[in-house]
Amino acid sequence: MKKILGILCVLVMLSTSAWAESKPIRIPVAAAFTGQLASFGEGIQNGALLKGEEINARGGINGQKVKIVLEDELCDPKEAATVATKLANDPRVSVLVGHLCSSATLAALPIYRDAHLPAISPASTNVSIGKMSPYYFRNVYRDDFQGLFLAKYAHHIKGYEKVAIFHEVNDYSMGLMLAFTKQAKKLGIRILGTEAYTADTTDFKPQLTKFKMMKPDAIFIPGYAPQGTLIVSQARSVGMRNVDFFGADGLDDDLMLKNPDAEGLFVTTPFLPDKAGPQAAGFIKAYEAKYGKVPNWFAANTYDAVGLAAQAIGAVGQDRVKIRDYLASLNSKEKAYEGVAGKTYFDENGDCLKDAFVKKIKDGKWVGAEKQLR
Amino acid sequence: MESLFEQSSLFLQQLVNGITLGGVYALIAVGYTMVYGVIQLINFAHGEIYMLGAFLAYTMVTVLGLPFFAAFALTLVICAVFGILLDLIAYRPLRNAPRLAALITAIGMSIFLQNLALMIWGSQIKSYPREVLPPVFSKAAWTFGEVSLSWLQVFILSVTVVFMILLHLIIHKTRIGTAMRAVSQDKTTSALMGIGVNRVISFTFAIGSAMGGMAGILVGLYYNAIFPTMGYIAGIKAFAAAVLGGIGSVPGAMLGGGVLGIAEVIGAGYISSEYRDGISYAVMIAVILFKPSGLIGRQIGEKV
Repeated sequence: MKKILGILCVLVMLSTSAWAESKPIRIPVAAAFTGQLASFGEGIQNGALLKGEEINARGGINGQKVKIVLEDELCDPKEAATVATKLANDPRVSVLVGHLCSSATLAALPIYRDAHLPAISPASTNVSIGKMSPYYFRNVYRDDFQGLFLAKYAHHIKGYEKVAIFHEVNDYSMGLMLAFTKQAKKLGIRILGTEAYTADTTDFKPQLTKFKMMKPDAIFIPGYAPQGTLIVSQARSVGMRNVDFFGADGLDDDLMLKNPDAEGLFVTTPFLPDKAGPQAAGFIKAYEAKYGKVPNWFAANTYDAVGLAAQAIGAVGQDRVKIRDYLASLNSKEKAYEGVAGKTYFDENGDCLKDAFVKKIKDGKWVGAEKQLR
Repeated sequence: MESLFEQSSLFLQQLVNGITLGGVYALIAVGYTMVYGVIQLINFAHGEIYMLGAFLAYTMVTVLGLPFFAAFALTLVICAVFGILLDLIAYRPLRNAPRLAALITAIGMSIFLQNLALMIWGSQIKSYPREVLPPVFSKAAWTFGEVSLSWLQVFILSVTVVFMILLHLIIHKTRIGTAMRAVSQDKTTSALMGIGVNRVISFTFAIGSAMGGMAGILVGLYYNAIFPTMGYIAGIKAFAAAVLGGIGSVPGAMLGGGVLGIAEVIGAGYISSEYRDGISYAVMIAVILFKPSGLIGRQIGEKV
């Protein structure tokens, strides 16, 4: 009897260890894959899956395959907290890529911090994120940089003197609004008015009517595309014909291209295919072959974030604290991760400094603006 | 600073925007109030009929390529049928059950229809491409200084007024309207007098839903944004308008819609755009506090 039991034990041990070896390394990617902002999620999903496939095609991480697990949180802080709790309690997860929206990131962040789970956001730009947790990293610039950059661009390149701001009530949009306002005032741009809306708004006419009377040169919309496209159309319909519109990376969405009123609108973006360096050529080619379209910045940054997570696991194994320490050690240009959207290295808050580009809508297509700010 | 002329033209423009929005709220509120009048049920699925109206017209115009006005008429008919079906499937079996049961069913239908729309049309906001709409809609009908009224606004306002008058005539000048008023006063006695109560209720649902569907089309055009959850917020607002005017009263719903629309736009334009919904609800609460039966609702004594 004992003998049989012993053999059984050995068999079980053998089978579990064999199973463990073939078990893929899970890298969760948390973002909005359905809901209003699903089109942002599409780029994130495509970028992550492409990188996952490429890693596996090269033999995985130290021989182990990678599995990209998509976690949908609709950019909703409540959903993000639920997803974060699930991931934090999953012992198979040692690092994750996410989240997309700043409000979702801010809701998930304390949960990851308490579980010592490192996370890399490819897209959350709100300023306060970095200081709140030593376990949060991002390979995208912050809104204070983006807002400052936009104010400089509006002043030096566009020559705007009077600007009105129409922002959403969320962490991302308000952070941008504050950063832009601060720099704009320094440069002598007059901020004629600042109005706000909530995510479920569809009627922007009362505020736009107010703006119309102020006769601004341009309206800054530091929000997301689903509302941005409505704002632009409704502004035209209340009679604002010669007013320019511009936004930040939140408006960088193909949804804007369907709107003929948005012609001429410009946005900041962390990645421009036609201005990207030679390191991006292979990525752009593979992406076009797989998905039939040009990668946007969400795809490029997520591609890099997954690569960064994989490099960390490859270097120190699947240990949450060791991965955090490894990511934190990439703190100078020399140690930077070489991604398709440029070099990524972190400051003491887990933030990074990267270039911003400007692109605009011309004949219903996104094109790099002729004049970039360098 | 800004001149008095600019200030007053700004106010006038906001008023025009507010009246347009108010007209739409009134159209939805009428459906709530009529159904409440005959069967004392808050039909929470009414907002979803409004949403379906918007989607149906959009689909007919963009996918089937129907001319806009044909799609408009067809949508009204389909929404009326939806209203009758809604009553037949969800409410008629519960006619003699406690009122709470029907109310919960109404909420259930609302969630069901919202998710059905999510499955069929997806969650992204749909907009009419400019080519498919009558080109006259985007032109200004009347401009005075900075104040302008577009043909679309004229269309919305005139459709609202025409259908309100029509509704008034139906309720007060036709046999079915008389029957509706009788049923709303006393269901049992009406039945004893030979009125087909179920037929009258079906008719009420048909009319109310057609008006709701129409409001959906108009809003879909005005803001050019159609999405599955649009019925929820609009439904709550219209419900507030119906309560504000006095639930059960048709002129009350029209007045309530108008007041709410203007309060919302003026609030957003002058006080704070972040609290626009809060402002419109505050107006409702204030009215209900001082006049619990609504602006022109009838006082109902406690039945013993």
